[in-house]
Amino acid sequence: MPSEPAPSTNEREFILAALRENTRLDGRALDAYRPISLTFGNDYGTADVRLGKTRVLAKISCEVATPYPDRKFDGIFTITTELSPLASPAFEVGRQDTPELLLSRLLEKTIRRSGALDTESLCLVAGQKCFHLRATLHVLDADGNLVDASCLALIAALLHFRRPDIEVHGEDVTVFDPREREPVCLTIQHRPFCVSFSYYHAGEVMVQDATLLEEQCREGEVVVSMNRFGEVAQVAKYGGPPVDGLSVLGCMSAALERVKGFDKMVTEKLKEDEKRRDAGGLMAELSAENERPVEGGDRVML
Amino acid sequence: MATTSVLLPGEQIPPSDLPPTKKGTLTLGPNLRHLPPSTILTTTSGSLHTDPKKAALWIDAPHGRYQPSVGDLVVAQIHHGSTDTYHCALTPHTAYALLGQLAFEGANKKTRPKLESGDLVYARVKTASKWEDVEIECFNSSTGKADGLGPLKGGMVFNISPAFARRLMMGTDKEGRSKGGVVVLEEVGEKVKFEVAVGRNGRVWVDSGNVAATLVVGRLLMGCDEKGWSVEEQRREIETCLRPMF
Repeated sequence: MPSEPAPSTNEREFILAALRENTRLDGRALDAYRPISLTFGNDYGTADVRLGKTRVLAKISCEVATPYPDRKFDGIFTITTELSPLASPAFEVGRQDTPELLLSRLLEKTIRRSGALDTESLCLVAGQKCFHLRATLHVLDADGNLVDASCLALIAALLHFRRPDIEVHGEDVTVFDPREREPVCLTIQHRPFCVSFSYYHAGEVMVQDATLLEEQCREGEVVVSMNRFGEVAQVAKYGGPPVDGLSVLGCMSAALERVKGFDKMVTEKLKEDEKRRDAGGLMAELSAENERPVEGGDRVML
Repeated sequence: MATTSVLLPGEQIPPSDLPPTKKGTLTLGPNLRHLPPSTILTTTSGSLHTDPKKAALWIDAPHGRYQPSVGDLVVAQIHHGSTDTYHCALTPHTAYALLGQLAFEGANKKTRPKLESGDLVYARVKTASKWEDVEIECFNSSTGKADGLGPLKGGMVFNISPAFARRLMMGTDKEGRSKGGVVVLEEVGEKVKFEVAVGRNGRVWVDSGNVAATLVVGRLLMGCDEKGWSVEEQRREIETCLRPMF
């Protein structure tokens, strides 16, 4: 089973010594993130997040399915994470190993169990038909902090996604093609984001957005998910030595600041994308007229 | 040595670009292939370099992974030890290179260095063959001297591209100018004291005794590699990086 090669003793000792002096390898402050970029694809529901060298692509798709018999009024929402050898030779195809399991479980807890997506709005006919919404995350490059990047990409993709419009008459459901009717947004009730903290020296040093090397040298991590109103969706700490309660509270307030920044960025990027897609109103969109060059260089409105 | 042109894989070297020869023999370097009788093809993309004095030509490719060849100096990481050898990683996710436990200066069964998993050594590639494990050694086997090779203690390792590592090791010409166009080590060395070991496998070990100075050297090297600074730009960056230290 391949695994990420462990860092050498020299690297480990140097990173720990540097963190004692509040220094990081790339010169960032302890609570600083690497440059983040968020771009949307041409299709609705694709978001590409780059966090330094880490890169995650989220894709949302939907189809009509039968709801679960015990949840007749709910649509289905599944999250799949794909850690392929494309990101790092340490990931294998088809094998669900620990990092992938932890990643998908954290995303489930953050987004699905916190009720970020209103699954009731995905129901078409109770007990018979509903939308099955699939979110697939492709990790394209892994250089640490996959959790934050994946969560950001997933939320952005959900906000960007448009499902086909429907019409229900009794038990007949018509699903309209995007060309017939404008697709509609999903109902997102709140936007939780993950912020992960790596800690060193028994919790004395807390670091945000650790790179792969820093992750390999850390003692443990605390992952906080919350929305911009400070409502905590989950707090996770997988093993490692115990951390002081006060420093976890410190994490909370730091996470709130960070989440507010994420939320603002996503809103701005969505607005930019909308502006890019807007052809200039319905009349401009419906116009079948080609642009014609006219003698004299000016275009004339017919 | 002169750069003439950039070529794509499978291209034929034009006869006008070949260096003049007296005996009619050419020396082909990396990334070139000879198809008898007189065709020379490239096997990768890169810039063509020729050396008229040696009648040699080669393709310098900035990409690609490190492949060991005899005589290369490398920074290797011990993965595990067995009865009489250490298994060392030169590059991640490749087969381990073998380092004899007695392949150190003055080592015998009682005085050999005890290395743990994760330790670093500066070593020379002894044998590199397609079919066998690569062997490395930490001493000059003909003189028995270390020649600067051996275990690396403390400091930090930085990852650079193999092409940049080669540029770092080119040395200087007669006028004292760097042949590879990298002046970072020389210029920083005038102001800050540090030790350095450049490995052809794309790893540089730097130790200056304190965190800040080691990081400055490492960041400058990685920046120069990634951003392709010219000599002038390197001098400017060095100045901005060193200013807060004095």
